[in-house]
Amino acid sequence: MIDYIRLEVRRTLRDKGFVIFGIGMPVVMYLLLTHIAGDSGKDADAWKVSAMVGMASYGALGAALGTGTGVAEDKKLGWLRQLRITPLSPARVVVGRGLSGSVTVLPAIAVVLLLGALVNDVQLSAGQWAGLVVLLWLGTAPFTLLGMGNGYRLSAQAAGMVNGGCMMVLAIIGGLWFPVAAFPGWLEKISRWTPSNRFAELGWSITAGHGPSAGTILVLAAWLAVFGAYAVYAYRRAARTA
Amino acid sequence: MGMTTATGNTGTTGSARDATAVAFSGVVKTYGEVRAVDGLDLTVRRGETVALLGRNGAGKSTTISMLLGLLPPTSGEVRLFGGTPERAVREGRIGAMLQDGRPIPRVTVRELVAFVAATYPKPMAVSEALALAGLETLAGQRVDKLSGGQTQRVRFAVALAGDPELVVLDEPTTALDVEGRRDFWRAMRACAGRGNTVVFSTHYLTEADENADRIVVVDRGRVVADGTGEAIKRTVGGALVSFDLADGPTDGLAELPGVTSLEIRGDRALLRSADSDATVLALARLGLVRGLQVAPASLEDAFLALTSSALEGAAAVGEGARR
Repeated sequence: MIDYIRLEVRRTLRDKGFVIFGIGMPVVMYLLLTHIAGDSGKDADAWKVSAMVGMASYGALGAALGTGTGVAEDKKLGWLRQLRITPLSPARVVVGRGLSGSVTVLPAIAVVLLLGALVNDVQLSAGQWAGLVVLLWLGTAPFTLLGMGNGYRLSAQAAGMVNGGCMMVLAIIGGLWFPVAAFPGWLEKISRWTPSNRFAELGWSITAGHGPSAGTILVLAAWLAVFGAYAVYAYRRAARTA
Repeated sequence: MGMTTATGNTGTTGSARDATAVAFSGVVKTYGEVRAVDGLDLTVRRGETVALLGRNGAGKSTTISMLLGLLPPTSGEVRLFGGTPERAVREGRIGAMLQDGRPIPRVTVRELVAFVAATYPKPMAVSEALALAGLETLAGQRVDKLSGGQTQRVRFAVALAGDPELVVLDEPTTALDVEGRRDFWRAMRACAGRGNTVVFSTHYLTEADENADRIVVVDRGRVVADGTGEAIKRTVGGALVSFDLADGPTDGLAELPGVTSLEIRGDRALLRSADSDATVLALARLGLVRGLQVAPASLEDAFLALTSSALEGAAAVGEGARR
């Protein structure tokens, strides 16, 4: 399974589209959003931190969902069928793909955090940096499962569009691009229950100097269960028809 | 059919000395009303190279999907090496080239073959798999940058990489040009020469004839003939006897000794004959020898005769195998 993970990570990193859009987009957006409104004052400093977490989350979210688009492409190429006639068990194929997806979220997280530290002069303790990386990394699990569910269930083209759409909606409603505080009250309330907002909240809670609340973790765990069930359902359906 | 019963009663299920690689018994696969595979019996012994020959839609791909455990049969049983196909796959005894599979992009030939090899318990060396498939010089190339023929050989190397006992190839040359085909079959024969059991499907007669020890003709989901190319030609009547009618009568020609069918094409009578000597002697007695020709039945004739009337074909082969 390690070989499978290595193969898939390699394939993702060689994908120019992934590198340009998956890593480049959050980087460009982070730099734009933190410099467009002027870059001095206390609010600007706070915004540099919260936007850093928001954009790292956005990049990770996109990469996690993108794993599912890759699954749909593999299905279209007949690669999933080919894997089924190797001794690799179906469970290992699915878990391996999920794990490889979770590795490919790391570059976006790392690059945005590096920019925060080096360009925008965000200052956090070593423990906070480490906590950010680990929590943002682990927190992508629900999105990887959602993407894979779409990938198993849909055609390659549809999966690409649906995952792209999910990414936009989750990023915006979750407050990854613009602070939730700027939303109308009703939308802000909804936002608090979205997986993407709770995911970014993992990071914001670290930069605020405390850990994530039990509520945040519970909401994320619930989404993890929902998307996990969806992925299992989609895989079973795909296995019957593939 | 005779072969099926000869090896079908292997009581030593699963033993290492079992000579049977593949056994289908009474396998049926239906899709709604359609019976894609309709009571298929087939036994392949270890080391054999067997061609599944049939027209498009004859049930070959469905048969291969069931052989690989990708599709469950509606009824009947498929056994590989005495166990289920799933078990044989899990044990790494099967390698396959699926019909519509394409290699994944953004990996090199060597990376892909090495990855698949590593999933098997006792793979062959990657360099050996690449050599067998004629890919040594392409090892470092990206799979998505190759020509159709090269891609097909990569897929073949993927099928071989784990050094499986049984190699299954579903219409491996469909998309290839003449040269690509020739290279492919050269690689396939090298593989069979190592003692592997090979089952491939094709709708090209000559490919089946040139590359298989044994041809299994499948039509409408059933085996309609099973034997060497020569044996199959014999089963449909050994020869085609033809002569100029010169406006003579055609009555009674179909009843001459050995004649199994009669066709009048312009001024020429074409008699298919199971015993061309007897037919020619009878024609000579009648004086009907103008432009007389005796040609051996081609495999194509045999194939057309077998697949145009599947049930009669099955009967004819039954007799042919006993002869």
